[in-house]
Amino acid sequence: MTIPAGQVAFYYLAAASIATALLAVTRRNPVHSMLWVLALFLHVAGIFLLTGAEFLAAVQIIIYAGAILVFYLFFLMLLDLPSETAGPRFGAHWPLAAAAGAAFAAVAWYAYEPALAPAAEPPAALSGNIATIPSGNIATVGMELFTRFVLPFEIASLILLAAIVGAVVIARRKTPA
Amino acid sequence: MVPVGACLALSATLFGIGLVGFLGRRNIILMLVSVEIMLNAVNVSLAAFSQHLQEPRGQIMALFVIAVAAAEVAVGLGLVIALSRNRPGVNVDDLTALKW
Repeated sequence: MTIPAGQVAFYYLAAASIATALLAVTRRNPVHSMLWVLALFLHVAGIFLLTGAEFLAAVQIIIYAGAILVFYLFFLMLLDLPSETAGPRFGAHWPLAAAAGAAFAAVAWYAYEPALAPAAEPPAALSGNIATIPSGNIATVGMELFTRFVLPFEIASLILLAAIVGAVVIARRKTPA
Repeated sequence: MVPVGACLALSATLFGIGLVGFLGRRNIILMLVSVEIMLNAVNVSLAAFSQHLQEPRGQIMALFVIAVAAAEVAVGLGLVIALSRNRPGVNVDDLTALKW
């Protein structure tokens, strides 16, 4: 039995995502953490490609890896890196945090498993390798976005406007009168 | 064809890792980055469902999640600037002014 190339790629991307996420959360140096998060975002973009979400993969790379992560890296310059790397990484309550994360992951695995076990077989028309994933995805997403989801789309732009104004107001230096 | 169950398991694991980072780290910027990891985990499961159901709505929801994440970054990092102006350093342990 031959394993399809898409599955090999998926399992590589999944393993790399989990490894880079773990590294990102546990590194002492915040800049190293950021670079591991960058690797995580790129691997997640690969997973989006494999699930046939090409537009989402492009947005993931352009907005997450390109804009948001660079923004975070700028803000790391606010830190005093030597003292940051010298202190403890985790608060004293970290076992509780680890237990909460593990419990959530376990509950989610448990919840997904019975619901998806019968449906895990791919539909007959789509089984096979990655080449059978339907193309033309970007046109479909664009049509949906500007017809059925045009109101949520406009609301998203309002949310972004509110966030810009809010960020400026919060971060502004208070000048006396 | 990516098995949807494996995608959802990956999503759950990534979300758990992000939760550990958010609850456990002391650095407020890395806490915000952990929130980004959790949002990404949600996007993975939305994309998996979108493929499984052959339906683009999941991807559109994921796009809205990304828009909200960008808004969250702007406001969150604005708060970090305001905080570091009043009190240098970004460790949440030191922010005890509101603690009872």
